[in-house]
Order: sequence, then C-alpha cells, then structure tokens
Amino acid sequence: MNIAFYFKLARTGTKKNGRLYLPYLLTCMGMVAMCYIISFLSVSETLKMMRGGDTMQVFMSMGFGVMCFFSAIFLYYTNSFLMRRRKKEFGLYNILGMGKRNIALLLLCEGLTSAAVSIIGGLFFGILFSKFAELGMLKIMGAGADFSFSVGLIPICKTISLFAVIFALIYLDAVRQTSLTDPIGLLRSESAGEKPPKANWLAALLGAGLLGGAYYMSLTIEDPVAAIFIFFVAVLMVIAATYLLFMAGSVTMCRLLQKNKRYYYRTNHFVSISSMAFRMKRNGAGLASICILCTMVLVMISSTVCLYLGFEDSLRRRYPRNIGVDFFMENVGELSDQSTEKLREIILEVCRDHDESPQDTLNYRAAAFAGFLGNGRVLPVPSDDMDYELFRQAQIYIIPLSDYNRLMGKSETLGDGEAIICSTNEMAYDEAYVSLGQIKLDVVKKADRFIADGDDAMQIIPSFYIFVGDFERVVSDIMAQGEGWDGSYLKWMYGFDLDCQPQKQIEIYKDMVQRLKAESSLVSIESAANERDSFYALYGGLFFLGILLGITFVFAAVLIIYYKQVSEGYEDRSRFDIMRKVGMSRKDIKKSVNSQVLTVFFLPILTAGIHLAFAFPIVRKLLLIFSLTDTVLLVKVTLACYIAFALFYIVIYRLTSYSYFSVVSKTDTSV
Amino acid sequence: MSILEVDGLKKIYTTRFGGNRVQALSNVSFLIEEGEYVAVMGESGSGKTTLLNILAALDKPTEGRVRLDGKDLSQIKEKDMAAFRRDNLGFVFQEFNLLDTFTLEDNIYLPLVLAGMDYTEMRKRLMKIAFELGITDILKKYPYEVSGGQKQRAAVARAVITYPRIILADEPTGALDSRATDELLRLFGEINKSGQTIIMVTHSIKAASHAKRVLFIRDGEVYHQLYRGEYTEAQQYQRVSDTLTMLTTGGERK
Repeated sequence: MNIAFYFKLARTGTKKNGRLYLPYLLTCMGMVAMCYIISFLSVSETLKMMRGGDTMQVFMSMGFGVMCFFSAIFLYYTNSFLMRRRKKEFGLYNILGMGKRNIALLLLCEGLTSAAVSIIGGLFFGILFSKFAELGMLKIMGAGADFSFSVGLIPICKTISLFAVIFALIYLDAVRQTSLTDPIGLLRSESAGEKPPKANWLAALLGAGLLGGAYYMSLTIEDPVAAIFIFFVAVLMVIAATYLLFMAGSVTMCRLLQKNKRYYYRTNHFVSISSMAFRMKRNGAGLASICILCTMVLVMISSTVCLYLGFEDSLRRRYPRNIGVDFFMENVGELSDQSTEKLREIILEVCRDHDESPQDTLNYRAAAFAGFLGNGRVLPVPSDDMDYELFRQAQIYIIPLSDYNRLMGKSETLGDGEAIICSTNEMAYDEAYVSLGQIKLDVVKKADRFIADGDDAMQIIPSFYIFVGDFERVVSDIMAQGEGWDGSYLKWMYGFDLDCQPQKQIEIYKDMVQRLKAESSLVSIESAANERDSFYALYGGLFFLGILLGITFVFAAVLIIYYKQVSEGYEDRSRFDIMRKVGMSRKDIKKSVNSQVLTVFFLPILTAGIHLAFAFPIVRKLLLIFSLTDTVLLVKVTLACYIAFALFYIVIYRLTSYSYFSVVSKTDTSV
Repeated sequence: MSILEVDGLKKIYTTRFGGNRVQALSNVSFLIEEGEYVAVMGESGSGKTTLLNILAALDKPTEGRVRLDGKDLSQIKEKDMAAFRRDNLGFVFQEFNLLDTFTLEDNIYLPLVLAGMDYTEMRKRLMKIAFELGITDILKKYPYEVSGGQKQRAAVARAVITYPRIILADEPTGALDSRATDELLRLFGEINKSGQTIIMVTHSIKAASHAKRVLFIRDGEVYHQLYRGEYTEAQQYQRVSDTLTMLTTGGERK
C-alpha cells in the first residue's frame, strides 16, 4: 500500500468524524495561536523599549510556561476522547486485514495532517492577532500606539517545537492504545458492558475532608506571606478534592439516595437518580476539570481586574504623596526642628525654582526597626527562647506624640512611660503594655489608624506604631541598650503633593535628587509620577496575562463541555427509546433528561462559585501584597466576573445542548 | 366481546420529501379474544413489526382502526398515551430493552414506579412474579451480568407486573439459544394458562407452534391463519412449516 492511500484514508476518517474533529482542530489552532502571541509579546522589541516593558515581558515568559504545560495536558485529554470514539473504526480496519503496523502508519498520517493544519492555521491566526495583542498591551500600559508590524522568528520556532513535541506524545499514546487491544476489543470498546458505579466511601470521605481542610485553611489564614505557600497547598487540595467529590462523592450520594426506598421509587426520582449515578461515573473527571478551569478563570480574572481597577488607589497607598523624601539620621539630635528646618528649606527652594509650592504636606519623625512582637514584648532580633507561635514579625515605628497630634488633628497628652499604639495589616494587639528591652511603656490608648505610610503598603508584615510623649529620651534610651537595639534607623519623612503635570513632577523630582544628594548621602526620594510606568507595567502585565490565560481556559472549558454533550447524546439515545416503549411519555422523558443535563451542566459552575467564595479570604490577603486593600472593590469585581461568566456559560449550554438534542432525538423521526 | 379488534389497517410510509411511498400494511383485519395466545408470522418486510407498533400505539395507521376493549386507540390523546400503554400493554422485545443503568429489580419496577405505585405493593407483586419466573436470585444484578435468557425473563417480568390486558412480544426468542427459547416458551404458555392474552410476532416456527393460533402475514395482508386446536406441538410445527413453505413458494390463497 502506498503512502498516498494512507493519507486518503486519514482524510476520510477525519471527515467522517467531523462533528468531533472540527472542534479539536479549532482548539489546537487556538492553542497554537495563543502560545505564539504570548511568546511574541515576551520578546517584542516595541514592548521592550517601553518603560516597564521588561517587567511585562517577564510575566509573559512565565505565561508561556503555563501555556506549554496546559496545552500538553489539554490536547492529550481531548485526543483521548477522540480515540475512544474511533477505536471501533480501527477495530474494523484491523479485522479487514490491516495490521497494527498499518494502523500505526494511518495514525501517523492523521497525526501529521492535523499537526500541520493546526500549527500552520494557528500560526496564521497568531501572527494576525499578535499585533492586536501588542496594541492592547500598549493601551493598558497607557502608551501611544505603534503601527509597525513584525513577525517574531524565535516565537515561531518556539511554538512549532512545542507543538511538535505535544503532537508526537499524543501520537505515541494513540499507537499504544490501539496496539494494546485486540480487534474484537477495538470493535466493542464503545459499548463494552459498563460496570455499575460503586459507592466509594473512602474516596468520597477523603474528598470531603480535603475540601473542608482547604476551606478551613483559606478562612483562617492570617499572614499574607504564609498565604502564598498555603495558597498553593490549598489549591492542590481543592483540585484533588474536586476530582474525588465529582467522581466518587456524587456516585456515593446517588447510592445513598437509592437506599432510601420510599424516596427512590418515585416517578420523579427513579430514573434521574440511577442515571445520574452512571452519568457522574462517566463524566465526573470531565466535570471536575470544567469546575477547576472555571475557578481558575474566575480567580485569575477577578484578581487581575481588581488590581488594574484599584491601581490608582494602590499607587496612592504606596506613594502617599506625589513626592516623598526620607532623610535618615545618625542620632536623635539631628531630628530636632532646627536641623530638619534646613532640609525643608532646600525642598521648598527647589519647588520655588519651578514655580510650584508643596501642598498637603505630610511630615513626621520616626525611629524604625524590624522586630518581633508578642506577649507584650518587642525583640529587635530573634532570641533563642522566642516562641515562634506567639511572636509575629512587624515593622516597629516610634513616633513623637506631637507629630501624631498634628497629622491626625488630635490633642492627646501622655505622661512618662505611657504610649498610644496603632497596628496595621489586621494585627491585633491586646496587651496592656509594651516592653522594648528594659523600657516598659503602658498602653493607654489604641489608635485605630495612623496616616497611611508608603512603607506599610509596600510591606506585607504589619506595622506597629508606638506614639510617645518624650520622643528623644525614649529613643535614646532604647538605642543605648545595644544588642540589636542600636540597629534602628531614625528618619524624617517629608511628603507633599504638587499641582502640576506628571512630566513636570518628574523634572522637579530629578532636580531635587541632585540638590538633596549633595546635602546628605542618607536620603531617599520617591516620585509617584516617576514610578507610575513601572507600576503600570506590573499591574497591566498581570491584567493582560490574566485575560489571555482566561480566554484560553474558557476555550478549554467550552470544548470539554461540547464533547461531553455529544458523547452523552450518543449514550442517551437508546435509553430514550426504551423508556418510551415501557410507557414513559415523551414529555416526561424530555423533562427527566433535561433536568439531568442541567444538573450535570450547572454543577461545575455552582461548585466553582463555592470554591471562589472560600478562596476569597486568601485572594484578599494575597492582594494585600500588591497594596490593594479595597475589599469592597474586590467583592464587586469578583461578583461581576462570576455573573458575566455564568451568563457566558449559559450561552455555551444553549449552543451545545442543541447538538445534544439533535443527537438524542434522531430515532424519533426514523421509521 | 373480543379484547382486541383490528379493522382494515393500512399503513403507508412516505419518505420525508414525499418521493417514495412504501406500503407496509395494505389491509389487515382480525379479532383477538380474551385469553388467546396468538403468533403472527411472516417474512421480514411483510409488515409484522409495523403491525405490532400500531397495536402498541407507538405508530399510527394511515387507515383503519384498532380497538382495545372497544376503545379506539386513535381517540386517546397524546398526553394520555403513555399512561394508557403502561396500564394496558406489556412489552417483550427481541433485544430485551432493559436499561443498563438499572438492576433487574429496578428494571421490573420501572412501569410501576412510573404509574406512581406504593413501594410495598410493588415489592409484593415483584416477589410473586420473580418466583414464578425463577429470577429471585438475580434481582440485584445488572443486565450485563446475566445471560440472555435471564434478561428476557426479567423483561417478561417487567411486562406482566402491571397485569396488562395484552402482552405484545416482538421476536422474543430471536436472541436466545435453544434452551433459553424452550424455557421462555414454556413460561409464555404458563402465563397464558393463567388467562393472560399474548400476541407474539415471530420468525421461529417453533415459537409459533406453541401459540393457540398463528396468523400469517404476506405483503401487508393477513394471508392465512391456523388454529392449533387439538394438535400436538409436533403436528402443529409441521402445519406451520407447510404453510410457510406454501407462502414463500407463492402458493394460491386459500
């Protein structure tokens, strides 16, 4: 037999299964296109030249890694579905005299054809849309559009080699599957007597336990740093639990209902429950995958959208004023009004040179150090007897009461050895005193907030403010203790807004850097306008990647749903017929089938909703790292994403259920 | 009065775009008395299955009418049809048509559950019938776990559990080996003896010779009929066989 013949056979085989193959090829193309686009963006020269473009490109490279992994798993999954449907055909070829070797050759022809079609088609669309993606990304970063068109050679090579490997793996698996079974097995594989689903109590309980554990972890997590690690553990637990519950839990549930004879033997429950047990056994894995994909899409989109929308807020929180200057001092004496006055004068002078004046100024003095807090004690360095369960790391600030009163518009007074405290990032402090080494201060009051400080937004550990009356004495006493206490730094913070364009703000900032650096080497100057682009690149990059990956995952979910509907349709067809003959009216059957399909279909999205609700606390904690503290915004965005996604899901359901019913009702019209 | 009156049935199938017209039944009339056991024979394509589908109200005749207990099937509304079928007719199919998602027990319960019967009453009926059919031990098994003969007995149990007016059997022995066939025919005989009316469409001379009467259908018409009367099974077998030979070699109409 010559090779052209195989190609012909491959073509007819693919064509005959068009209903299954077309979506497969389209998905492959979509995956190839998406990989190309992400890889293109990660090396695009236009982006590289942008401010913050390199940050974005790092994200894109990470995104490409995710895509590689995901494409491989997903294409493997869909292909195994196709193979199941086609085994019968191969069995027939085998009986008609084609050896395993011939079938492997046939599969090779098919694989080559579909690989060629999807890679070429995918690259075509990828190149076509890469420019749109680039423009979209420039838009998100707030840069002007650039209409030059380019094609990346490296991305093309990367994409081709990635998919060549994936298709090769898929091919090897297909050959393995066909060579393992005998011809009769191949012929029958589709209708092989299916074992009744068994209630697997152990798996069901394990699933419930894992899910409960993951939910508990998410609800009780306190420390955002630990959150990252726990988040991954919780995600893995939820994934495992979802698979276990969908595959074993649902069947166990059905079995339990079947044990209750009075409930089970009712017209409405009888058919639905027993069919559901089988349906869930067959589709549990698919449904769990859909559920997990949905949850991933929702978490990703809602958090990145939220970051992007809350950008201005986060920026302001990180940089409380347009320009912020921190002067670091050697000793407490330099923090006196006379010495700070001199520095303030320089700042004002620079502003005057540019015909601007500082507004809404924010200035205070502080002694700061990172330490450990617990049991009413503050430690500058971890000590051997420290109980890590009780002590939390915190940024400690000691601030003069006069600065506190001035900034917060209060008129508190404090006696010797007394202090007002304030803690952030949801750290509670309930002790009646706070002792720093030998110095013990009585907590007379707890302030609910202090002026937002950029440091606080930048750090994930909480800040702990101690306001004291006699600042200089307390600080020098503390520092005199040595043993780590002398490591604290003293600073004077001066921040202000400017009523001018960002461009001019940057000029003033640059000027100020020169003048102040000349004056003192221990100074740090920040300009919100100057940092804005790199901030935008960070947030915009995440946002854009979230959208791209979100689209991919949605694609995948749609395809799984479609295949599920079609395969269910084939299986339900004969059942539909029998029930009609035994005396179930067509309306009842439609009703029962419909309710089962609806349950199966909406179970994943409902579960995804529950997952999302429980993931919420952990996501909120993680976003704190990005200085996003607006919980209301996060709730709104998450809800909006969920609703939008649910609507989209319903549309998919409508479209795919059409193909389901067209498969099922075929026998109705036949003679 | 006859339990079933079939009068001048005619069925013409037209392909969807009105092209070909196929006449499946041209003129079929017969009466069935209560407690009868009738076999309908004919070659494939003679219209047997069409006739059975019309009797089961799964299909509508182009002309003519079918009356069950004097009630015209065509007068029953579509929405009452399922209930009517459930209450009055029992089905046994060649391919068993058991639902693979149910145990045999649940398969047998199916029509009763659909009728909304109480579980204790269902259970009482099942136990009696399962004992008579010898399937008490395998009730908890799934269709794929038992033999064809056992499946068919479960299907018979499902047909009789509603105490139907008529049992309609479509090639019930078609997928069974000879031992299972004998067993099933014996069961049919017993069920019939207890007063149950049975109409069986079949190819098999052996199955037909068990019936009290055999109707032969050719080209959509009732061509001939044989009463078993006092003949033995072997004699009846010979008569049916002769008639069939005559039918296929195109003998004159009697």
